[in-house]
Amino acid sequence: MTKVTREEVLKIAEISHIFLREDEIEPMIKHLEGVLSYAEGVQEVAAGIEEPSIKRVNVFREDVVVKTDSETILAQAPEREENYFVVPVIIETK
Amino acid sequence: MDSLAFATIKELKEKLSNQEIYVDELLDFFLKRFQDHDGKIDSALEVFDKQSILDQFRAQGTPISGIPGLIKDNICQDGRITSCASKILESYRATYDSTVCKRLKRFGALLIGRANMDEFAMGSSTETSAFALTKNPWNFERVPGGSSGGSAAAVAAGLIPWALGSDTGGSIRQPAAFCGVVGLKPTYGLVPRYGLVAYGSSLDQVGVFSRSVYDCATVLSATAGYDLHDSSSLNARKKDYTQHIDGNLKEDLRIGVIDNTLQADGMDGEVVTAVEEAINVLEKAGAKVKRVKMPTLEYSAASYFVISRAEAASNLACFDGVRYGVRDKEAKRLHDMYLNSRHDGFGDEVKTRILVGNYVLSAGHAGQFYENAKRVQRMIRREFKIIFGDVDLLIMPTHPAPAFKIGAFDLDKLQMDLQDYFTCPMNLAGIPAISLPCGMTKNNLPIGFQLIGPHLSEGLILQTAHVFQQNTHWHTLHPKGF
Repeated sequence: MTKVTREEVLKIAEISHIFLREDEIEPMIKHLEGVLSYAEGVQEVAAGIEEPSIKRVNVFREDVVVKTDSETILAQAPEREENYFVVPVIIETK
Repeated sequence: MDSLAFATIKELKEKLSNQEIYVDELLDFFLKRFQDHDGKIDSALEVFDKQSILDQFRAQGTPISGIPGLIKDNICQDGRITSCASKILESYRATYDSTVCKRLKRFGALLIGRANMDEFAMGSSTETSAFALTKNPWNFERVPGGSSGGSAAAVAAGLIPWALGSDTGGSIRQPAAFCGVVGLKPTYGLVPRYGLVAYGSSLDQVGVFSRSVYDCATVLSATAGYDLHDSSSLNARKKDYTQHIDGNLKEDLRIGVIDNTLQADGMDGEVVTAVEEAINVLEKAGAKVKRVKMPTLEYSAASYFVISRAEAASNLACFDGVRYGVRDKEAKRLHDMYLNSRHDGFGDEVKTRILVGNYVLSAGHAGQFYENAKRVQRMIRREFKIIFGDVDLLIMPTHPAPAFKIGAFDLDKLQMDLQDYFTCPMNLAGIPAISLPCGMTKNNLPIGFQLIGPHLSEGLILQTAHVFQQNTHWHTLHPKGF
């Protein structure tokens, strides 16, 4: 049975860039514990296998410039200025 | 005209060729089908206006030219909204055509709308859609399955002859079985994923819904084949899969029945009986049937669970409110903007899967969960490889029980996750599988079974599936009231 702490959930939420309201934290802990305990099932059978199934193949192609209409993309920006996406402050000045 | 509602692509094409009906009238007919009947099942998120569909139409001498189809809302159609049934992409318009849509348009197909789905394809009932609750056409109190539930329901109700879906762990085959239609998940890499919004990139595959196997082959032929834009695309030549359908079984066809799936806990008795009957049909048609066991299948759902969530967490990191979609306009700092936009834009199921994914990938847990899941995946692949040395195709059920009631798993999400039990092994192995209707329960709900083959055996699967349909009537049954 996997135990998940409040701190772990908050840390994972932070990594995931998802805000959790106070009332969402406890149900999330319960849910994570339930599903992770199920997922633990992979351990017993995996014990006998040496290598995980990871095959790395690089797929290359020529780097050809293709004309795209950036306006259709920029037009969907929640906020823009000319050819830029505008976002809130990243680093605050003192 | 009502006889057209459940006509196959092939039959509609003949009527077009003989000028019994014109493309324009055929389009009107299916647009009206949605207008008259979709209010009952809510299969489509949007049906486009007639002129905008015709503007993109170029008649071609192909088997699908002039034939309308419906596209799951995670597959980009240039200029149309592609919402993935999520609030975060509610008003996002695709800026290019997915390769499959591009090919279909080039073949002259009419893409008439967007099918409802589970949000970001995460679910097995289409209940996690942020916009609509799709009902099973056979019983409005039941789910159509998922995540491609809108596509399956529309084809089953005769609102459209074919539809595209996507299948990461069973999202084409399970709804096909629940709605009583044909659903094909092709070999991983056979159909390009360019323009399919990614969920689990190593598992995702675009596939087809139809009522006849022949139609399925027609749509597959239009969409399959190498694509420069998809680095996981296989170097497979384009071909006409209908050529495989000659009405005969392959000589000395050997089929393995995965016995342990029929004996699994929680198997519905009516489903077992129907699948056994399907096996009899193929045996009578000349297939050599033997019983086999695949013990590692029991671990595939757990392995799939971990891998799919891990990939989802990475793939969905790009939805952050910067370039498109929902943004928290109140946030004063960039970091808060990310956190709040994603909190408000994603539904509960999606947020949960992202959190689970980042947990199983995080330092301290990756070895325990993710790497072990990849080990099990390797084991499953090996087991399939060995067994396909002995048989040509495999059979097992698509689902343990028929379509469940709407809301049935609201309090037990893990049971919902286990809906993938019989379908996800094929995604882990990257092999093709088709779900075919093979019976009805006493309560008049469809039952499906899967024919599974080794990599790139779509021709053999379709050939065999067609013989099955020639010897059964299940695919000719339609829900009442449509």
